[in-house]
Amino acid sequence: MAITYFTRRAMMAVYASILALAMAGSASAESAADRAVEAAKKHSGITLNVFYEAGLQPLDPKNFTGPMWEKLTGIKINVIESPIDQMFTKTMQAHRAGSGAYDVLNVLPNQMPDLALAGALEPLDAFVDKYGYREELQLIAPVYRDNQMKVEGTIYGFPDDGDVLILYYRRDLFDDPDNKKAFKAKHGYELAPPKTWKEFSDIGQFITAKYGPKIYGAGMLRQPGNAQFLFQERFRVEGGKFFDADSMKATINSDIAVRIFNEMVAENKWMPPGVEQWGFGEAFSAFLAGDIAMTISWPPVGRWAAGYGKGTEALNWIPETTVADTIGYALPPGGRPELAAGFSLSVASGSKHKEAAYLFIQWMNSEEISLQRVQLPFALRDPFRTSHFSNEDYRSKWPNAGDYLDVLKKGAETGLLDLSLIQIDRYEEALRQGISRLWAGDDPKQILDDMAAQWDKLTERIGVDKQKRVYTDWANKPNAYPN
Amino acid sequence: MSSAISKTIDSERVFKYLLIAPAVFVILLIGLYPLIKLIVTSFQNISMFDNDLSYQGFINYERLLDDDRLWKSLLHTIIFTAIALPIELVLGYLLALLFLEKLPFKQTLVAIILLPTIISPIVAGSIWRLMLDQRFGPINQIIAWFAGGDVRLLWTVETALVWPAILIAEVWQWTPFMFLLLLAALSNVDKEQLEAAQIDGASWWMTFRRIVLPAIMPVMFIAVLIRALDLFRVFDVIWTMTQGGPGTFTETISIYAYQMAFREFEISYSSAIAFLVIFLLTVTVVWALRRVEVSR
Repeated sequence: MAITYFTRRAMMAVYASILALAMAGSASAESAADRAVEAAKKHSGITLNVFYEAGLQPLDPKNFTGPMWEKLTGIKINVIESPIDQMFTKTMQAHRAGSGAYDVLNVLPNQMPDLALAGALEPLDAFVDKYGYREELQLIAPVYRDNQMKVEGTIYGFPDDGDVLILYYRRDLFDDPDNKKAFKAKHGYELAPPKTWKEFSDIGQFITAKYGPKIYGAGMLRQPGNAQFLFQERFRVEGGKFFDADSMKATINSDIAVRIFNEMVAENKWMPPGVEQWGFGEAFSAFLAGDIAMTISWPPVGRWAAGYGKGTEALNWIPETTVADTIGYALPPGGRPELAAGFSLSVASGSKHKEAAYLFIQWMNSEEISLQRVQLPFALRDPFRTSHFSNEDYRSKWPNAGDYLDVLKKGAETGLLDLSLIQIDRYEEALRQGISRLWAGDDPKQILDDMAAQWDKLTERIGVDKQKRVYTDWANKPNAYPN
Repeated sequence: MSSAISKTIDSERVFKYLLIAPAVFVILLIGLYPLIKLIVTSFQNISMFDNDLSYQGFINYERLLDDDRLWKSLLHTIIFTAIALPIELVLGYLLALLFLEKLPFKQTLVAIILLPTIISPIVAGSIWRLMLDQRFGPINQIIAWFAGGDVRLLWTVETALVWPAILIAEVWQWTPFMFLLLLAALSNVDKEQLEAAQIDGASWWMTFRRIVLPAIMPVMFIAVLIRALDLFRVFDVIWTMTQGGPGTFTETISIYAYQMAFREFEISYSSAIAFLVIFLLTVTVVWALRRVEVSR
């Protein structure tokens, strides 16, 4: 009996333990996405206004996450679109007017300090703790997690788009034995994806000389808004610094910058005529048409050129790719690609539904949902979580998708951050204007001196000490400068 | 008796004022309030990070004086207006003269000529940007065809070409407006006077100066005034084609004010710029109206 009694008690204890373990197990098994959905159900019936870059980006919330979220929670998603260069303005206008026009914001990471300091963004730490999201945030690729999430230690957004400028090249031209032989004979080294800008120029000129005007060595992002990213990257890779760290005087007019400006102008001569006007679309279509052997651009080029998403209605505008079987992926010269732009998901401080907005972005940004989003052929979200790069399903989407994801992963490890300062758009505006003057034929040294003077004037207006703190904070990040 | 009459007149006058008072109030609210708000803001310090509503004196107006970029943009605006306006006027007049004659499909042709004015200036700018594109644009292809080889004309990039490109787009879009008004004015010129002048052996110039010009002057003045104001505020076409570039080479006063207000959030400073523009335009319009009055 005693045994029976003991056994019964023991059995009860075992059952209790199993039940407790099962409950604990089910709690820990519940993902961040599930937690967001459960908590959001109490907001059923409301509509969230989600602010997105116009174009393909909003197809994700319109066609995929929006309908799914509504089905799961009863919360409607209304997408409001804007051209990328007006997003900052419109976000600020809504904030200034106190209109509460937006609930969820897409924020360019280098504009996050401006928006946060202006009070336009809601701090997210309390929500992150309340809904247990810290663990999954840690799984975002370090370069994005550590640099595109916080301002002065506070979380204001979740990195949500692994933008990085990658080199795409035609393997058929690079692997051609005749080309290899002739190139080595001329330059004394192997024809391979360029490691330096000198090699880039050698290869480009070689291909243009041999195949032009049918095929040019390269075609690049040269519209000032795009070209400024490549300049920022190249300037730092070659050893340039934006400011003197002590005096905060602009050093953008250094000899390094003058040399790079001169090299950029020289490169245009062996690139397709009119390359100065090329933006994303022009470079992309020329690469797909096989008109250029190399280009440096954002990740969608790599997957669309490989034919990924072919037949998708939203991508009908993309020209037929002629390089699907020959596309190669590499880091751009210097090996430190620019993490150009990107997006973080934030909650507008003026939102009337902050909690629901937060839960939506936690759900979108979670391991589970983000993996689906970065594989949407029509959307522009690029891999940004460590798990995205290693996902077997993604790696099997086209024959060398693994190479593509490996290069993106390398880019995410070595990428250089866009310069981020108070009123960064004004500094970038000066840079954009400088590049447009460069294409117009002005003297590089004069342009850079004018640019430096403009930057100094801006810094003085904002406050040297105030700006210095922000710059120092940025410059001390491991991915601000190459060394 | 007379005081009773004057009392009746006074009460009638008061009643009339009362009747129009709501309309005057609404007009003042719509027209005057923004102007007062603009002036008040220009004496404050509102920017991206500052929201100081206290009186700051003339600090923003002093800043105007030191702002080279502002004066350059104003100069660009004045020069552009001074070049575009006569071209539109002359072309519009010549077209109107052509259409005074009997032409086959006249109504259809007039409708076709007027099409550009119906298009939004943003769309017109986009059309011309594409037309002048090096890779896809037909203009360079046509020029290359005539030149017998490849041409490299970067219309929206090179300083030598960028203003002509904008001028072409602007003249293309707004000459029909001049044409329409001048056609209406020319249609009303007294034909008997013209015939009399012809019989008297007056030269073409004399007829134009003594008969045609005085007859079309009121309409032409209004057309020129409207277009001059539009040109002074030109924004959309330039923004679409060059965004004020290369550098600030095609930046007009409207583009600069927009940059300051909506890209750099210098709200108070941009209010000062806007007030400067309003002041300059008001002075110009009042001066022009007086000149017309005097000439009458």
